Amino acid sequence: MKLGWQTRLHVWLRLLFLQASWNYQRMQGLGFLFALLPGLRKLYPEEKIREASKRHAGYFNTHPYLAPLVAGAVLKLEEERATHGEDRSIDIDDFKEIVAAPYAAIGDALFWGGLRPLAAAITLFFAIKGIIWAPLIFLLLYNLVPFWFRIVFFEYGYRHGIQSVDFIQEHNLADWAIHTKEAAVVVLGGLCAFLVFSHLAEHHLPTWPGLLTLIPMVILGLGARKGLSTLLLIFLTCLTIVIFGIFWADLAGFLNY
Amino acid sequence: MWLELIIGAALALLCGLDRIAILQILISRPIVAAPLTGIFLGEPLIGLQIGVMVELLWLARLPVGAAVPPDDTQVAIAATVLSVALGRQLESISIEMMLVCLLVALPVGKVGQYFDHRARNYNGHLPAQTERALEQGLWRQAQVIHLRGILSFGASSLLTYLIIIAVGLLLIPPAWPLLTRVFSHSASFLQLALPLVGVAVILGTVNVSRSITLFCASFGMAFLLMWLVHP
Repeated sequence: MKLGWQTRLHVWLRLLFLQASWNYQRMQGLGFLFALLPGLRKLYPEEKIREASKRHAGYFNTHPYLAPLVAGAVLKLEEERATHGEDRSIDIDDFKEIVAAPYAAIGDALFWGGLRPLAAAITLFFAIKGIIWAPLIFLLLYNLVPFWFRIVFFEYGYRHGIQSVDFIQEHNLADWAIHTKEAAVVVLGGLCAFLVFSHLAEHHLPTWPGLLTLIPMVILGLGARKGLSTLLLIFLTCLTIVIFGIFWADLAGFLNY
Repeated sequence: MWLELIIGAALALLCGLDRIAILQILISRPIVAAPLTGIFLGEPLIGLQIGVMVELLWLARLPVGAAVPPDDTQVAIAATVLSVALGRQLESISIEMMLVCLLVALPVGKVGQYFDHRARNYNGHLPAQTERALEQGLWRQAQVIHLRGILSFGASSLLTYLIIIAVGLLLIPPAWPLLTRVFSHSASFLQLALPLVGVAVILGTVNVSRSITLFCASFGMAFLLMWLVHP
């Protein structure tokens, strides 16, 4: 028996709720079962759904944007099992367990670590210019790739089953994650230069000392690398600026007097 | 004042759910959530400026596995609501007001991590309930149990938002006359500093070899180009 497009669409839509019951015991386990249930109910008679459901209600955790790839492949495997009647339950569980952690690592690095800062940095150029549509630009820039992954990979997983892992290997997604992070760092450099330069120019101050901003930024970066909390760095910076501002105002007042 | 707080609460709930529980289309990012709040409150530019200041601060903290990053969504939304509501009440919608609201919201927003942990712990009783429902063949109930998890994440978002708002409303109005004088000399530099601190933290924590070299080269080149072409 083959699953129709309506059932597959139903499963895909439910994957948008994958983490609704996220918990420390099973992580996305219940969400994965929630997504697969429409497919399982089409494939198995009532008495067999219970056994299949129990298998999928266990521990599961991967990146939410790559979960559709796993779900598609699992649906294919369940379909084969239901059609041929062979006992592939161990294969399906093993498959989930084997791919979940590497997919999570790739997804975290590519989407959270690379694409998110890159999209944010590009969007901030528009936001600083006061363009009110900047949030929409961020949503479009960011969601283009994840939704492509979510839609296309789900279908790819369903068509290729266990072979779908080859796709990740062939396309070197781990390398793409590094390239995206590097691009984000470069764009952030340009963004900071733009922020500092436009600020100094706006206040009719000499612009060239803005290059010195790199010194405190590198020091703060090294502080963060040593494990200092972001909140501490924020308040230290703000305190320094406030004290310097008060001192500067007093000095200016004194000189004018 | 109440209308602003209620609109903020509705957005806090909607954007808060996007963080973990549903969709993850990133309407929860400060650069989206704060301007959205600003638009609904009739002050889009306030939201946009707060979004710019908060967006990069905790971007380096990734929601990997069981790690819970600080709740920058509620910080951004609550800071926007406080800036608009208190700005209208004290007749001072200004950069100083935005900064004060933000600097109050940032440390208080840490409670978001606690509530998030509590929500995830609370959801820990759902697997046992699901198994009982599956045992009895109650498929519909098993699915409803999963969706009930959304309630705890919603409650976590709302509580974080309400605590930031309550602390802001308690602290800011009495201290405002003093704060406005303190911040008047440094407001614009603070506005510049916050995103730069965020970028510095990203540089320090991003897993890219030679990240500081890449950043300095890019910063230097862009800066010099602007210096050359600027009249």
